[in-house]
Amino acid sequence: MVLSLQGLIPVPLREKVMAGKSSIWNNSCVFRQGESVFVQAPSGTGKTTLIHILYGIRTDYEGSVKWEEKTLNIIPADALATLRKSDISVIFQDLRLFPELTTLENLEAKRRLTNSVSEPQVLEWLARLGIREKAHSLGRTLSYGEQQRVAIIRALLQPFSWLLMDEPFSHLDKANTARAIELITEVVQQRNAGMILADLDENNFFPYSQTVML
Amino acid sequence: MSDKVQKGILNKLLLRTQHKSRLWAALVALCVGSTMLLVSVLIWWNFQELLYGNNQNESIASTYLIVGKKVTDQNMGMANATVFTPAEIDELKHAPQVQDVGVISANHFPVYASMGGKLAFATDMPLECVPDKFIDNMPDAWKWEPGNPNLPIIVSSQFLDIYNYVFAPSQGLPQLSQSSVKNIALNLEVGSDAGKERVTAHVVGFSDRIGSVLAPKSFIDYGNQKFGRPGSTDAVSQLIIKAKDPSDLKFTSYLKSHDYSTNSENLRWSRIRSVVEVVTSATGLLALLLLGIGTLVFILFIELTIAHARSSLTLLLEIGYSPAFLSSFMISRFMPMVIVTILLSMGLTCAVQVAASVAIKSEGLSLAALPGWPVWAALAINLLMLVALISRSIRRAISK
Repeated sequence: MVLSLQGLIPVPLREKVMAGKSSIWNNSCVFRQGESVFVQAPSGTGKTTLIHILYGIRTDYEGSVKWEEKTLNIIPADALATLRKSDISVIFQDLRLFPELTTLENLEAKRRLTNSVSEPQVLEWLARLGIREKAHSLGRTLSYGEQQRVAIIRALLQPFSWLLMDEPFSHLDKANTARAIELITEVVQQRNAGMILADLDENNFFPYSQTVML
Repeated sequence: MSDKVQKGILNKLLLRTQHKSRLWAALVALCVGSTMLLVSVLIWWNFQELLYGNNQNESIASTYLIVGKKVTDQNMGMANATVFTPAEIDELKHAPQVQDVGVISANHFPVYASMGGKLAFATDMPLECVPDKFIDNMPDAWKWEPGNPNLPIIVSSQFLDIYNYVFAPSQGLPQLSQSSVKNIALNLEVGSDAGKERVTAHVVGFSDRIGSVLAPKSFIDYGNQKFGRPGSTDAVSQLIIKAKDPSDLKFTSYLKSHDYSTNSENLRWSRIRSVVEVVTSATGLLALLLLGIGTLVFILFIELTIAHARSSLTLLLEIGYSPAFLSSFMISRFMPMVIVTILLSMGLTCAVQVAASVAIKSEGLSLAALPGWPVWAALAINLLMLVALISRSIRRAISK
């Protein structure tokens, strides 16, 4: 699945975008499936805005975003849901778990949509990221680090061609980051998917095929 | 985990803020509105059945009128001035609201009645006959053949009232019940001096519809043929009419334009019937209003529930749930409640019908034990309308 961006300008950032020089904003970009893209974005340049636009959450922009032939801002709601369920997965910066559900319920809510990953596999991933014992804890009682690991696993519980990540390891220590990177790499390779990681500073989380400045 | 577990998770997320008291209030409003609607259709249908549908309810189903031509200062004394021609009778059959027309034949031969004993009297007696289908309270023994010495007669119940409440008290005579009158034998002398015949008349019934004394048509025909003046027996001066709604302006205008006279009391009863119909329609409108309010309350409850779950709903959509899937889930949760509520209101309506059919028997009328097709049709329309409205509201609220 190819991602094409054409003249993308978020309306709230219009002045800033027009004044600066970005490889993505108000530019033409094409990302092909299997690529690992690092979007380096200093604070206030619209990193989260970009991830939300690519995932179809925000529509307040000019220009076009195309996933293959599907133009995001005119796609019907049910088709967008299919895209999110089968082609694009995301790790939000603000994690977005259901606070009233347990860890396992948060994951099951996603897994049951496609059943592409088995329940034992989920438990194994929880164990790999060191939160197996938190399986029955409510989302609201988890620490940020634990929530982030749940959010990472949740993003992997579906088939996808692209994985979008917005500061995915911001609440993790080095050891947990390494374990998460290992799991993500393994699943992304299994699915032959591409990834777009947006973060503040330069990093070596993944062997990126290209780095773009926002 | 099974789909049941997934539904459990969605229940937790989307229906956790569902207040039971509000839900019950919404369901009660829906039930009251729906029951009112079905009962108003039921009342309307029962009314139609009583008036127009069921032969057993003939006495209130139509109004029977005795129609004659007005005797005026100009036409009085003129031969055949108040006689109906066959063309006029035929025209009347096609007049507005007229369902049937019967000829009232009178005796054109002398009939002299007498009785001995304490109630002794002797009088000339006019007799009439009408087609059997126009007789209310048809007695079993309503037949006579030439040579039969016993003649059944039907007397207007007004006659007995006049005797019991006016004549008997003033003369110091005993009052008589209907059954005791049926035991009295009247001696009738029929015909002129030359070929006089005698029969014994027995009162076999009373009529609220005809204001005279009725004899079987075979007896009147026999007497008219044997003793009547030639030509006079064909003259028809009174008709009995079965009219659907004699208060209809078209019908009253027709009678007026033809100078026909009738009993205006019957017209008044029909007006009362029209008023009842208007009241029934008004009840229906009120029921529609109540159902509308009930539906609105229920829809608002659903929208409030969805609004309370907005943050969960948004996140579900963000992780890949489609609006169609979530709408189906919400519809599957609310629709059984709606269906059970509407079926409950149908059950209440059936109970009302059973009670009405039992109660009305004491009035000598009959109603079906179960509601008729219009009520079931109203149920189906009501249910379809609610399903469509609630489904649409859920889809709209989720897609917002």
